[in-house]
Amino acid sequence: MNKVNALVLAGYGLNCDNETAYALELAGASARRVHINSLIDGSVSLDDFQIMVFVGGFSWGDDHGAGVIQAVRLKTNLGDKLLEFVDRGNLVLGICNGFQTLVNIGLLPGFAGDYKTRSIALTFNDCGNFRDDWVSLKVNPSSPCVFTKGFDFLELPIRHGEGKFYSDKVVIERLFENNQVAMQYAMPKGSLADNRFPFNPNGSINDIAGICDPTGRIFGLMPHPEAYNHRTNHPDWTRDKEIIKRRGSVVDTGATAGIRMFQNAVDFFNKM
Amino acid sequence: MAAFKSIIMPNRLEIALNPDLFDAEGEGIRQKAFHYFGIKLSRVCAINVLTIDADLTADQLKTIQTEIFTNPVTQTSSFDPIPIEFDWIIWVGFRPGVRDNPGSTAVEAVEDILGVKFKQGEAIYTSKRYCLKGKGLTSEDADKIAGELLANEVIQRWKIYSKQDWDNKSGIGIIIPKVKLDHKPVVMSIPIDSDETLKGISDERNLALNPNDIPTIRAYFLSEKVRAERALVGLSDPTDIEIEYISQARSDHCNHNTFQGLFHYQDLSTGHAEVVDNIFETCIKEPTLLLKEKKPWVVSVLWDNAGAGQFDDDHYYVITGETHNSPSNMEAYGGAITGIVGVYRDPMGTGKGAKLIMGGYGYCVGQRDYNGDLTPHLHPRRLLDGVIEGVRDGGNKSGIPTTFGQLLFHPGYMGKSLVFVTAIGIMPAQIKGEPSEQKKTSPGDLVIMCGGRVGKDGIHGVTAASEVFSESTPAGHVQIGDPYTQKKMHDFILEVRDKGLIRFITDNGGGGLSSSVGESALFSNGCEIELEKVPLKYEGLDQWEIWISESQERMTVAIRPEDLDSFLALSKKHAVESAVIGKYTDSGKLHITYNGKTCAYIDLDFLSSGFPQWEFDAHWQEPEKRGLFEPVVREPGDYEALLTDILSRPNICSREWISRQYDHEVQGTSVIKPLVGAGRDVNSDASVIRPVLDSEKGLAFAQALLPAYSAIDAYHMTACAIDEAVRRLIAVGADLDMIGGVDNFCWPNIQYDPEDNPDGRFKAAQLVRSCLALRDICLTYGIPLLSGKDSMYIDGYLAGRYGETHKVSALETIQFSTISVIDDINKCITMDSKIPGDLVYILGETGNELGGSEYYEHYGYVGLNVPQVHSRQFATLYRALGSAIEKEVLASAHGIYRGGLGVHLTMVAMGGDLGMKVDLALVPSAQVNRIDTLLFSESAGRFIVTIDPEKKKIFEDIFKGLPCACIGVITDKSGDLIISDSKNRGKSKTIISIPVQDLKAAWKKPFKDL
Repeated sequence: MNKVNALVLAGYGLNCDNETAYALELAGASARRVHINSLIDGSVSLDDFQIMVFVGGFSWGDDHGAGVIQAVRLKTNLGDKLLEFVDRGNLVLGICNGFQTLVNIGLLPGFAGDYKTRSIALTFNDCGNFRDDWVSLKVNPSSPCVFTKGFDFLELPIRHGEGKFYSDKVVIERLFENNQVAMQYAMPKGSLADNRFPFNPNGSINDIAGICDPTGRIFGLMPHPEAYNHRTNHPDWTRDKEIIKRRGSVVDTGATAGIRMFQNAVDFFNKM
Repeated sequence: MAAFKSIIMPNRLEIALNPDLFDAEGEGIRQKAFHYFGIKLSRVCAINVLTIDADLTADQLKTIQTEIFTNPVTQTSSFDPIPIEFDWIIWVGFRPGVRDNPGSTAVEAVEDILGVKFKQGEAIYTSKRYCLKGKGLTSEDADKIAGELLANEVIQRWKIYSKQDWDNKSGIGIIIPKVKLDHKPVVMSIPIDSDETLKGISDERNLALNPNDIPTIRAYFLSEKVRAERALVGLSDPTDIEIEYISQARSDHCNHNTFQGLFHYQDLSTGHAEVVDNIFETCIKEPTLLLKEKKPWVVSVLWDNAGAGQFDDDHYYVITGETHNSPSNMEAYGGAITGIVGVYRDPMGTGKGAKLIMGGYGYCVGQRDYNGDLTPHLHPRRLLDGVIEGVRDGGNKSGIPTTFGQLLFHPGYMGKSLVFVTAIGIMPAQIKGEPSEQKKTSPGDLVIMCGGRVGKDGIHGVTAASEVFSESTPAGHVQIGDPYTQKKMHDFILEVRDKGLIRFITDNGGGGLSSSVGESALFSNGCEIELEKVPLKYEGLDQWEIWISESQERMTVAIRPEDLDSFLALSKKHAVESAVIGKYTDSGKLHITYNGKTCAYIDLDFLSSGFPQWEFDAHWQEPEKRGLFEPVVREPGDYEALLTDILSRPNICSREWISRQYDHEVQGTSVIKPLVGAGRDVNSDASVIRPVLDSEKGLAFAQALLPAYSAIDAYHMTACAIDEAVRRLIAVGADLDMIGGVDNFCWPNIQYDPEDNPDGRFKAAQLVRSCLALRDICLTYGIPLLSGKDSMYIDGYLAGRYGETHKVSALETIQFSTISVIDDINKCITMDSKIPGDLVYILGETGNELGGSEYYEHYGYVGLNVPQVHSRQFATLYRALGSAIEKEVLASAHGIYRGGLGVHLTMVAMGGDLGMKVDLALVPSAQVNRIDTLLFSESAGRFIVTIDPEKKKIFEDIFKGLPCACIGVITDKSGDLIISDSKNRGKSKTIISIPVQDLKAAWKKPFKDL
């Protein structure tokens, strides 16, 4: 079987390209880091890929709003090619700055096939600061989201200053109706964070941490699955290890929740 | 540029958050205004202003307004002033020539979406307009908020409008901070007819030439041979560019004249006198070379921008540490961001170039709530806030995890605060079959400058760092680092490196091209530079300014001429500017031309020849003879209140607010985070990362700062700082034999002057003693110094209440950093207690060593019995602990640091959110009979470890014959910390019994709202 090819955007201040490519490789894809300019000048073609990942970082320094200039450049220079990529049944993932970019391009929320309208913002955290912390996430089992299949709850790190999910009531309601809200900030025991800080770390409306388009093939989230690529990334790993040891069990060195999210993407093609 | 006449009608776009959205920025300002000045504001709205000074049509303006600069969901915008309610309006914008990062990215986006190219002189400038609401707000209030909270006059200017002043049609008007230099670049000739003349010019031009160097400089330019050679290229007396070049290279900052000085050391107590010639050579270089012989993992030390150690067969790690004190004291945010971004260029310029993988920080400042009579340029609170934010943006936007850091308050740092920044990188061991740690320039190689452009920023930064801070320090040396530009350059450098195109690379930091080209030309033995080829931010810079400007985000790279096309192609791909500015030769000369005319022609070896060594008198007096003694304090009765109060002391309490705003997990490598434990809120001993993602090896990193001990003896201050930094790594699982160190000295002026520096000889003796400790401890622990730096003038003159000024000198300070490869990250441990029932052990002996302790400081004492490092004995214990962790016998390990056993038992309990019950009578001690001494002595060489009771025997076997005792047990979740003393020295048996959650609340309280 041919490997699934994943394109990982890089350059212009993006900074999670290496670990995202690594996570995709661990998940069984063949990942390639591609400079935004190589995509724009045509030296790399989207035609060769099935998964496109907009990664975290500070594209263009995040001046003028996180992900805004990246969205402008890609929209201006790639526009239709992006839409064709989506049309071909491929997957698009936006993580953190990538999520911010997807909503600014308009690929999300993508209501009724409209992939051009900006109707969602990821704006400054209510806490007024950049924040790095791990969060608990409740996953919507009814969501069409390809990436979250099989999850009900997981923990991932967040690292952002502009992650507050914001939109008007109508859009939010529609997102819930369509089960496009794939992931929400939660309490450690699994109930919703209900806007309690730091469980909802940024003041996102309805604790929204990640959404997909109606097809489930475009997914954007603020947390970083690629930063949970090894069990030692988890903040509790030394504690968990001790507890497991005392029980006489062996530490599970299988795929982390972060990697499983990428595996879902790879499996999507392999099962087709 | 003066000739450039603008016929363009500039436009001003205002962008505001929709009123129904929470304005986090405005709210932050509102809170700071109250906390800093007690000014009550009811609301603050921040409006972003873009002043577009470019020839755009109305349609084009509309396009960029809607497509780029206005978020349709959250923002509104207008080319007219947005009507927002206010009592006062404050506008803040950059001064001309100050780097405006959002302004440049705005141009990039506009050019892209419109498909236009901005013409020479066209630009977009960003600024901010704040609308303040508050009852009874006065113009003085507004002025204070503007000048002391929103703007810094060094880089920004502001305007204040009352309701009456404000015209809602014109708003702030059109303000274009364009640099206009009505100046034709000209090379000046410097007269050298006498020492006095040159001294006068040095003062006038702010060159900070050392008077002792002046005769050597004159002798060179007056020599017949030199004059004859210079005549051939059309030069006679030195040019300004040559003198500036010499000044830069000879500055203490670049040349480390102090450390290479001749110290006449005298122990006044014993009469013993000795001459210590070159402490760098004897205390740093020699021991490190000796250790390098024994440790094959030491790859490259003592010459490059950073030192290198072996990570695995295929990778080397590199590390260096810097300070950025003077600029941060002028402009905290700008200085700090420039510092962190600047130190990140060092690994990039090490060997053939390293990728950045980790950063660290250390801040030493005056008390955050200082309200005394002295008025530093920036209040410590404001300075600290600015520094924290600067390193945050610099580190986060560079995509490099900031995994470890420290914050220390002491009044001495009011004179000059310290900002330590540390950078760690990794590179392949080989690049296209060549060793990555080696590099050289060869005749014929091209000199390339890449990254940012050159402006007036940063001129004389190096010489300013070599001076005591005063009101006349030129403000021009402050700049704002641009992590975005540098991140692009970083990615570019790694790609050209991997293609094998880099022959030599170094960064443009202090001294700019003058340093980077000067140093790289030593390898080929010459260079020819065409200065007019250096890309400038604006016209009108003099040649000497181009040569020494410290404009940031630039690297100097040497490549083969045949590689130029591929190099430039990749440069274009990464949107990084690169320009060929000359070539390397073997002429022995630094030869600079400007439009074909020679403006500098100097022998490269001149700088390494014939300059007089600096000399210092160093007088040591024993602490007792200086009047220090142990205070007479009878034992306290209320240990619960005492412990709680000490946990709330500014130097002990939680700093979670800093760690959480620093991205410490980017790159996906995090293994041990800065905050650990059940609540993920207690500081880890060290941080560990897994820099090569498909390897289970790790890098552990930690730092220590203990300046309080310098009040007694800088020898022990240094020894203890090294010991703490070592123990921090041991505690997470490092092997003593794999640890490398980085020394960062920050010292007050040591040159004796009867009026200006009457205790200069003592400070010089402290420096000598500190260096001796560095040598002694590093040799016994076997720690090669992979890198190190010194910053020598941490003094300031502060205005007092009556118009007088006070010289304030900081304590002699060393930050010691440690780094080690971890063979298997899966065996790393953290400091938090894990499971109820686990046994609590103390390793190492507690002595009567309260001198300089946090406990004494709490009472206002210094004391005498400073902790001492018995490195040989300690090393045995550390090896045993290393082996216990390797065998996975421990559940947790934590060093006992500042605050002693009392504080650190609490840390272990808080880490696990579990109770703990211990008996002080069981603590291994050297005849310590007092409870306060046992609890708060800061003896070095100690750990608290917890183990599974089933491992008791294996554990105790490992530590047989070593100071090791079980003192208690971990108890239940949300239990109490119970400290008792079974010797019951006339007191109740239980000394302390407090819920761990209460202790945690006390520990978190001081900075919890930040």
